[in-house]
Amino acid sequence: MLTLRAMRGLQRVPATFLPTLAMPIFQAVAFAGTYFAITKIPNFPTDRSINWFISLSGCMGGAFSGLGLGFAAIRDIENGFMDRLRMAPTPRAALLLGPLLSALARTFIVLSTVLVVGYFFGARPTQGLAGIAMFYLAGFGLAIVATGWGLGIAYRFRDMRGAALMQLTLFLVMFTSSAQAPMSMMQGWLLQVARVNPMTNILRLSRQGFLNPPVGGVSWENTWGGLLAIAVLGSLTICFAYRGLRKLER
Amino acid sequence: MTQPPIQGAPIVVHSLVRHFGSGDNLVAAVDGVDLVVEQGEIFGFLGPNGAGKSTIVRMLTTLLKPTTGHALVAGYDIVKQADLVRRSIGVALQDSAIDPLMTGTELLELQAVLYGIPRAKMHARASTLLERVGLTAAANRRVITYSGGMRRRLDLALSLIHEPTVLFLDEPTTGLDPMSRLALWEEVRRLNREGTTVFLTTQYLEEADQLADRVAIIDHGRIVRQGVPKELKAKVGAPTLVINVSAPQQDLAKSVLARFGEMRPTDEGSLAVGLIAGATGVAEVVRALDEAQIDLHHLELNEPSLDDVFAEATGHRLEGATPTAEQTVK
Repeated sequence: MLTLRAMRGLQRVPATFLPTLAMPIFQAVAFAGTYFAITKIPNFPTDRSINWFISLSGCMGGAFSGLGLGFAAIRDIENGFMDRLRMAPTPRAALLLGPLLSALARTFIVLSTVLVVGYFFGARPTQGLAGIAMFYLAGFGLAIVATGWGLGIAYRFRDMRGAALMQLTLFLVMFTSSAQAPMSMMQGWLLQVARVNPMTNILRLSRQGFLNPPVGGVSWENTWGGLLAIAVLGSLTICFAYRGLRKLER
Repeated sequence: MTQPPIQGAPIVVHSLVRHFGSGDNLVAAVDGVDLVVEQGEIFGFLGPNGAGKSTIVRMLTTLLKPTTGHALVAGYDIVKQADLVRRSIGVALQDSAIDPLMTGTELLELQAVLYGIPRAKMHARASTLLERVGLTAAANRRVITYSGGMRRRLDLALSLIHEPTVLFLDEPTTGLDPMSRLALWEEVRRLNREGTTVFLTTQYLEEADQLADRVAIIDHGRIVRQGVPKELKAKVGAPTLVINVSAPQQDLAKSVLARFGEMRPTDEGSLAVGLIAGATGVAEVVRALDEAQIDLHHLELNEPSLDDVFAEATGHRLEGATPTAEQTVK
């Protein structure tokens, strides 16, 4: 029912969802166009620049969908609706599950739209349905992580100050990974950060279906790191959100 | 297995304390409150803004944990059995906690799901409640289009979806026009007649006087008086004589009035005295003021009110005790 409520909110005020949908599409098309020459690098794993950037857009879409639920939680706190939810004899976990399912539904819409628009602009999966499944898996994973992070911040800040922090951390994590260029092209501190940044593994998970082997191609080697990153970050951020929800009582 | 509630009064509060902040910024919003609300009672909780009324309601409704002390609501401990408390109570908070993008029906159905009401009963219950609060015609409109009074009535309907035995109303009529206020009072009385125990916070004296079987007066986090309104007013004793004189004559007028009883706190520019002789003493006061050549601008004699009880207990009047035009949203 809470998921349904969130989806109704999208339908009634589509403007709140528009940036989540438009930004990843714009990013995929703009980056692919601006950096089209990236494919000229020797041994670059695809000859289509949009095949490289579409995964970044998918991950960004999943993350924005999750953060959107953080923004919605801030609105609920500010207009008092969160109090109504907290006064209900519902398990506290259900108050997190509703937004989480809603984030996954939003992510599905964003990823599907990115795929369709990406195809129109020349993106071609190289690994069939298995590759597309990995693209969705990474997007859904990031949606879970971002929902936990967004809700946790919302429950602690309780006003729109939290929104800026949510977005800032997302961009920092996203762009200090292999988001824009392969690791082989990076140097200095950025390379060191990208190596340990879990986002690099999630992007690798997402990109398997759009890049050529040996870098691309659906394999356990390209999958496990991303799954582990999602599992660890997802667990941590959901715990962060749960503790934040409890903090509202203190 | 569900634990049985402790039998007794629906609300029992013992030494409840709530602090906010820490160190030098520590504020005791609630500072050792004890009270008992009996079954089937409308209990009025009266106090100025910032006195601690809403903090107590938030603790009793499990939204906030007490710093120390304990309380039972509907026989359950508010901290250890919060979930059971939530099942037993209905709450309409000070700011209508309503999602403006949803319709009245959708909100009631969401509330029903949150309280585990079966879907088969959900629609009928929602329709009944909407009818009861006079919102059937607006049921499928988004709440953003509702007036302040309609939102309050919807909020009340939401708090009743699971037929609670104890109902908390936190300043339910603040900002309402007189007609909406009267309609809400009538609904509260009806609920009470049907057996619901009502805990009502208000800053309006008239509201407490009209609705409450018993009242507690809170100031700076402490209960300063508690009892039946009529008895509390009777304890104040003498009626209050209020006069207005020009500023230069205030001190002289004060010395004259002091001969007829104890001076009482009042608004700036006025003087008030508890007139020991009652109404029969007014003529004598007027004569004394005249003899002292004091130019009397205005005079009124008021029977003891809850405001007098408040003033007698705290040394100051209850600001905003009656709704002003600015506070009333038409």
